Amino acid sequence: MRVEEELLEPSAEDLFENAPCGYLSTTLDGLVLKVNRTFEDWTGHQREGLLGKKRFSDLLAPGGRIYHETHYAPLLRMQGEAREIALEILRADGSRLPVLVNSVVVDGPEGEPQVIRTTIFDASDRRRYEEELLRARRREQEIAQKLQRSMLAGELPSATDFEVGVGYRPAERELDIGGDWYDAFWLSDDRVGLVVGDVVGRGIEAAAAMGQLRSAIRALASTGLPPAALLEALDGYSGCHEVGGMATVVYAELDRSLRELRFACAGHLPPVLVQPGEDPCLIWEGRSPPLDACAKNSRRAEASCSLEPGSLVLLYTDGVVERRGETIDAGMERLLEAVRAHRTEPPTSLASTLLRALGGGEHDDACLLAASVA
Amino acid sequence: MSVRARNNVTEHGSPEAQPMLFAHGFGCDQNMWRFVHPRFEDDYRVVLFDHVGAGGSDLSAYDAERYSSLQGYAEDVLEICRELDLRDVVFVGHSVSAMIGVLAAAVEPDRFARLILVGPSPRYINDEGYVGGFGREDIEGLLDSMDSNYLGWSSQMAPVIMGNSDRPELGEELTNSFCRTDPEIARRFARVTFMSDNREDLAKVDVPSLVLQCSDDAIAPEAVGRYVEREMPDARLVMLNAVGHCPNLSAPEETADAIEEFLRG
Repeated sequence: MRVEEELLEPSAEDLFENAPCGYLSTTLDGLVLKVNRTFEDWTGHQREGLLGKKRFSDLLAPGGRIYHETHYAPLLRMQGEAREIALEILRADGSRLPVLVNSVVVDGPEGEPQVIRTTIFDASDRRRYEEELLRARRREQEIAQKLQRSMLAGELPSATDFEVGVGYRPAERELDIGGDWYDAFWLSDDRVGLVVGDVVGRGIEAAAAMGQLRSAIRALASTGLPPAALLEALDGYSGCHEVGGMATVVYAELDRSLRELRFACAGHLPPVLVQPGEDPCLIWEGRSPPLDACAKNSRRAEASCSLEPGSLVLLYTDGVVERRGETIDAGMERLLEAVRAHRTEPPTSLASTLLRALGGGEHDDACLLAASVA
Repeated sequence: MSVRARNNVTEHGSPEAQPMLFAHGFGCDQNMWRFVHPRFEDDYRVVLFDHVGAGGSDLSAYDAERYSSLQGYAEDVLEICRELDLRDVVFVGHSVSAMIGVLAAAVEPDRFARLILVGPSPRYINDEGYVGGFGREDIEGLLDSMDSNYLGWSSQMAPVIMGNSDRPELGEELTNSFCRTDPEIARRFARVTFMSDNREDLAKVDVPSLVLQCSDDAIAPEAVGRYVEREMPDARLVMLNAVGHCPNLSAPEETADAIEEFLRG
C-alpha cells in the first residue's frame, strides 16, 4: 500500500532524482550546482566530481564547447532561455551522449538572474536519424551536381576560322544547383548549333529535365530544323512529356562560311553581338515566350544577322547578369561593360574571364557561351 | 547597395562626438553589445553593425571569395568608416572581430585612435611552440554541432533570415530569436574564423590597444591573450573576473568599466 502511495504521489525529490530526463543546475558562469540521478546514470559522472568543480561546458566535446560559448551562452544571456540545442556530452568513459538541451535562467529574490536550470534529453536515436537525413541531402546535392556536370562535359567544336568557349559556375550554395546548360555541336561541315538554356527548378529534377531538353535539341537539330521550327518542335516534346515547361532557351545556328547567325530565343536573355570596330550590343530580335508557354500551334520568331570577320557572339543565362536588389537592365549593362573590357580575348578564355569579372553567383548557376568567326 | 544597408549599421549617442565602432564576433550579431554600448552614448558616437551573413545584414552581399579570409571582413570595417566618415575611431571588437580590427588598423592605422580587443585570438589551432587551444579535429566537431543545430530550424528559419515578410508569423514562433545567421554562411565564417592565423599581423599595429581577457575562457585562453599583449607594440592586458568568452554579456558592467578606464588613460 505504501509503495502504491509513493507511486501515485511521489515526493518532489523522487520526481527530481528519477525524472525521465537529466537535470542540471549551474551558476550563471556554468559551475555545476546540482544534478539528478538520471544525469549520473546517463553520463557516468558522479555528483561528487561535478558539484562546484566542473562547468557545464567542461562536459562537452571541444567542438560543442565552442558552439556553447559562441551560440548557446550568448542566447541564454540575452533571452533568458534557450531551447532544443543539440550538444554532445562527454561521458565519464570518454564516449559521447548526443543530447537535446533546454535551459532557463532563474532569477533570485532581488530579480537578479542567479541560476541556470537545464534539462537534458537523450537524443541518440534522433541524432542518428538526423545524420541519415543530412547524408541523404548531401548525397542528393552530389548526384545533381554530377548529373549536371556529366552533361556539360564533352569536346567543343572548333576549326581554324571558328572558335567556341564556355564558362560555367555552379551556384555556390549547393542546395541551389539549378538547371543551366550549354551545348555546341556540328550540324554540317560549315554549321554549328549553339545552345544555352535554363530549366525551372533546382536539384536532381532540374538536372534531369535539363538533360532531356539537351538531348531533344540535339536530336531535333540533326533533322535539319531551323531555329524557330526547332523550338516549336521542342514545345511539343516539352508539353507531351511534361518536361522543361517554362524553361528558357536560345538556339542559334552559326554558319562559318556564310558568316551568318540564325537564332531563336524562347524567353531567354538576348544574345550579345560584338562586331569589329563597333560597340557590343544586345540583339532583341527573334524572341518568343518560354518553352511550352505559347498558345497551341503558335509560331515562334526567328532572326538572323551577318557576322563580319572577327565577330563574337555571346549566349548566357540569367545567373550571369542578375543580382539581388538590382534591375536586370543594370546587370545587362554590367555585362556589356565587361565585354568592352575583355573583347580582345579568344572565346576559349573569354567566357570564364567574364564570369570572374562579373562575380556574384551565390544563389544561382551562371553559364556563358562565346563563339567567334575569323 | 549602400554599406549602411549591407552591414545593418545602427547609430546611437552623440553624432558630433568621437566615434566608437563595435564589432560582434562569430555566432551572434550586434545584439552582443546591447548591455555595453549604452554606457558610452553620452560621450561617443556609438556605431554598431552586423557582419555580412549575420543579424540584419544583407545576405545577398555575401561573396564567398571576399569573405574567404578575415581580410574581407576588415575591408568591410574600413568601408563603414569611410562611408560614415569615421575618424579617430575607438574600435571595440569581440572575439574574431578583435583580429578583424587589428587587420583594419594595419591597413589604415591613422584612422584608429584606440583598439579594444575583447577575447582576441590570432590563431585558434595549436601550432609548434604556440598554444591556441584547439586541434583541427575540434573545428570539424564545431561544424558538426552547427549542422545538428541548424537541422531542426534551417528551413523554418530561412524565410525569416532572408527578411521575407510574407510570413511574419514565423518571427514570433522562433524560440531562439537573437543572433540569427544564415547556416551556410555561418559554416563558412566558422571555418574562416577558426582556421585563421594572424599572428604576424599583431606586430604591424602600434595603435594603443587594450586586451580584455576573461578568466577561464575556453575559446581564447589567458596564454593567448598574453601572446597578443606581448606581440603588439602598444598593448596592455586587463584581466577580468568574468568567466567565459562573452564578458560583454555576462559582465557588461565590468567590461564597460575596463573600457572606460582605458579610454580615460
